[in-house]
Amino acid sequence: MDTTLSRRGLLRAGATAAVAAPLLAACSRTPAADTGGGDKTFTLYWNAGHGYDAYAKVVRKFEADHKITVNWQKFQWPDLQTKLTADIQAGTVPDLVEDDGSGWPVTYATSGDALALDDFIAADGEKVGFPHDWQDNALRNVQYRGKTYGVPLHLTCNLLFYNKKMFADAGLKAAPSTWDEFLSAARKLTHGQQHGVALNSDFGYSSPWILQNGVKYWDPSAKQVLTPADRAAEALGFQHDLIHRYKVSPVPVASSDYEGPEKLFVANRVAMMLSGPWDFAPIKQAAPKLDLGLALPLSHTARATSFAGSGVFIPAKAKHPDLAWDLITRLTALDVELAATAETGMTMPRKSWAANATVKADPLVGAVARALAYGQSWPNGIAATGKATEVSDAWKTAYESTILSNGSAAQAVTTFRSTAAKLVGG
Amino acid sequence: MRRDSLFPGARFVGYAVVVVCCALTVIPLLYMVSLSLQSDAEVFAGNPVLWPAHLRVDNFAVLFSRVPFGRFFVNSLVMAGLVTVAHLVLDPIAGYAFAKFSFPFRRTLFVVVLSTLMIPFFVRMIPVYVVFSQLGWLNTYQGLVVPFLCDAYGIFLMRQFLSALPDELIDAGRADGAGELRIFLRIVLPQAKPALAVLALFTFVFQWNNFLWPLLATTTTDMRTMPVGLTLFNQEYFTQWNLTAAGSVVLFVPTAVLFFFTQRYLVRGVALTGLK
Amino acid sequence: MVATLDRRAPAPVRTRRRSPMRRRQARTAFAFLAPALVFFALLFFYPLANEFVTSLFAGARADEFVGLGNYTRAFGDAQIRHAFAVTLQYGLGALVLSIVLGLVLAVILNQNLRGRAVFRGILLVPYLTSVAIVGLLWRNILDPQVGVLNRVLAAAGLPQQQWLTDHPLATLIGITVWQQTGYVTVLFLAGLQGIPHLYYEAAAVDGASVWRRFRHVTLPLLAPTTLFVSIIGVISSLQEFALPYLVTGGGPAGATDLFVFRVYQTSFAFRDFGYASALSYLLLIVILVLSVVQLKVGQRHAT
Repeated sequence: MDTTLSRRGLLRAGATAAVAAPLLAACSRTPAADTGGGDKTFTLYWNAGHGYDAYAKVVRKFEADHKITVNWQKFQWPDLQTKLTADIQAGTVPDLVEDDGSGWPVTYATSGDALALDDFIAADGEKVGFPHDWQDNALRNVQYRGKTYGVPLHLTCNLLFYNKKMFADAGLKAAPSTWDEFLSAARKLTHGQQHGVALNSDFGYSSPWILQNGVKYWDPSAKQVLTPADRAAEALGFQHDLIHRYKVSPVPVASSDYEGPEKLFVANRVAMMLSGPWDFAPIKQAAPKLDLGLALPLSHTARATSFAGSGVFIPAKAKHPDLAWDLITRLTALDVELAATAETGMTMPRKSWAANATVKADPLVGAVARALAYGQSWPNGIAATGKATEVSDAWKTAYESTILSNGSAAQAVTTFRSTAAKLVGG
Repeated sequence: MRRDSLFPGARFVGYAVVVVCCALTVIPLLYMVSLSLQSDAEVFAGNPVLWPAHLRVDNFAVLFSRVPFGRFFVNSLVMAGLVTVAHLVLDPIAGYAFAKFSFPFRRTLFVVVLSTLMIPFFVRMIPVYVVFSQLGWLNTYQGLVVPFLCDAYGIFLMRQFLSALPDELIDAGRADGAGELRIFLRIVLPQAKPALAVLALFTFVFQWNNFLWPLLATTTTDMRTMPVGLTLFNQEYFTQWNLTAAGSVVLFVPTAVLFFFTQRYLVRGVALTGLK
Repeated sequence: MVATLDRRAPAPVRTRRRSPMRRRQARTAFAFLAPALVFFALLFFYPLANEFVTSLFAGARADEFVGLGNYTRAFGDAQIRHAFAVTLQYGLGALVLSIVLGLVLAVILNQNLRGRAVFRGILLVPYLTSVAIVGLLWRNILDPQVGVLNRVLAAAGLPQQQWLTDHPLATLIGITVWQQTGYVTVLFLAGLQGIPHLYYEAAAVDGASVWRRFRHVTLPLLAPTTLFVSIIGVISSLQEFALPYLVTGGGPAGATDLFVFRVYQTSFAFRDFGYASALSYLLLIVILVLSVVQLKVGQRHAT
């Protein structure tokens, strides 16, 4: 009963306070302030899930040091992309943008909408450690025609998550390390309502498998995708078989998100999934008692995983590019990285971060840091073609037709390669 | 001999069909209410529960404490309210002109107005965004409201409704020497109450639920509307379903209230629009 | 719709052309119409013209003139043809089902049924619910592993279903029908209540059965309503965007890749603005043609 009352009280207090304010604010607003690009406002676009306290602290300090107001806007990735696209069309862009790690800085650079950072780097790259303190492979996605357009902010990768209790119950001593061990473990762990593994509906999660079979998503010199093709088909086919032949994974549902396996994992419905540090916080929140084990990425012809994560870049028409660079150096400083890791378990791109003793000692973060050593750049510079999103959309179709709709992997790879050839030549 | 039903027991079967359809309609929505009252443990468990063991009203308090939903709520109310008022003025007056006046190009203009129904919002979104950005209208209430001031559907509805109005009523007004605007306001509009109620309901609800434009047209958190604010909850990699559902329930409340007050006009408002 | 309803046009003003009265009327009418016309000109037709110009250009900055190249490209684009076919199936399925269901419910509710206002109200609620809520809710309910529907099926001893994997498009049609039928029902109810009792009484005197009365009195007199519902339905379902955006992401493998969702991707993900504009224009033309065809067919049936 008193919860009802408090809720009503909240509503009433919120309503009275809020009724007058926006009306007055809207009336008094001047056009200069509307664009969000006035001299005293610095606009920052950010992912809704990355508003860490560690970053909030940096932003507050930045505001005080430069006597400027930061308009910090947080969105889901697709919404952020929609907004940025409209902004670029209108010519009123934010000062700094977080990107989803898929190569936006290069994509925008191809159309002249991203700012080259080389002058900044020449001036104080040495001091802040960019790029030499960043893991090398992570930088492939920010360079275009010899210039650098973005700075990696988070560096994550896919690795093997497993439920230690389920493993013990099934008499499994160690986490699998190869595809064969993985399949045999998954079979032992599948019974009744429980599956050994849950593959993801999101096509991005297939990349470690492809890399583990020695395949490149993009070969810049040959201008071809998925080479060699037969090994790509084999890797895609293995994932298909886990679901449709061995039935050790439920069929993923076509969806606009990638939470499916995580939901099953915390509900003790699957024993393994392939995911990354972004799932640490959700797992801890949903199933604090789950005994989570982490293992290195699997190996088949090679032990490999794909880098993921996010970065930041400055739009070409940003009003405060100097300040934006200053904010980049603050946000990517080692102590900020370590604070964000301590707060959320997110993993970071600096070599000095990976070498940090606290990072190494942490059972979860340390495991990711070790896995990062096997990381490769999945896009491998495909963004420079300016067609990265179209190619990726075609790959999505290929993945879904095999994994979700139980189609032929070889056929999907062939179709995808010919679609990609039309888009990027080669 | 007149028989009243198709086959014996048809009335009962009809009743059953309606009850089943209503149940199928309402149960998913009740499930949303159920979700909004579930604990974290219940939503995260692999086996969904139909109804929570304990009603966790706290979800709503959490909702209001995490993001400024009060502010979003007011923004939505102002936006949807202003648009509704604009429709209640502009749609009937245009519909009245089409229904009761004779003038050159009447038919052509009516077709032109109707053709706007076929233009997806999508098509005009970016050009309007660019212009509004130059005008400095982004992040203002006029920026949120102006793209939706009137629409062809409302004009069509009002034209159909007002066509059925007897001409004598208007002529009597003219004979009394009343001005045209006065006739419209004092004689025509009061007759159109059911149609106006329907118009108000649909206009408000569509604006209230509008997502894409408020997302683009607002640039600071304090100008966001409810649906845009709700997406804050769908955190990057996971969804707290109970809180999202609670937000949905809050989002729905004003619609429900408006619906409650206008629903008795609903069929009459549409019926008299001459769709017969 | 336009022509049919034009028979309800204002009583002809029996005065000479160009009479002062007539001129005054026209002046008043234009004054009344002015706000709406200015609005449509600035916020519909200006953007439309703008988009047409964009559709003649290519590139992420839309600065490379290609003439009608984007249009010819669309005709050779297999993905676009696929999206268009999917959209037609979706539109047709949702339209037919909601018309049939809406008509049945309206006929039942048109009787003196106990609590009919309540039923009518309940049926309309999904239509008033934000499609964002509807999409997220159904995604949750239909999840094959952790969704509540399969749990209910299991409890009832029925087999588990993979709705969004096995029948993705049909599932989206189902969600749309769930959301729209109430509105269609209300439109039909309104249509039914507009049919004068006289007709039924005359038919009853002639000894017509209930079915014959429905077939020969109700259905023909409901034709304008049906026409209206189908035109509005086609326009809205060909423009559907939110369901693939929120529920399926267009998948699996493009099975729910509705046209406007594809245009959205082309514009905001691929930043191929010229092509996206051309695609929007092609959709506009299709909607226009379909509406005119429906009108012609509807008129022939009405006479």
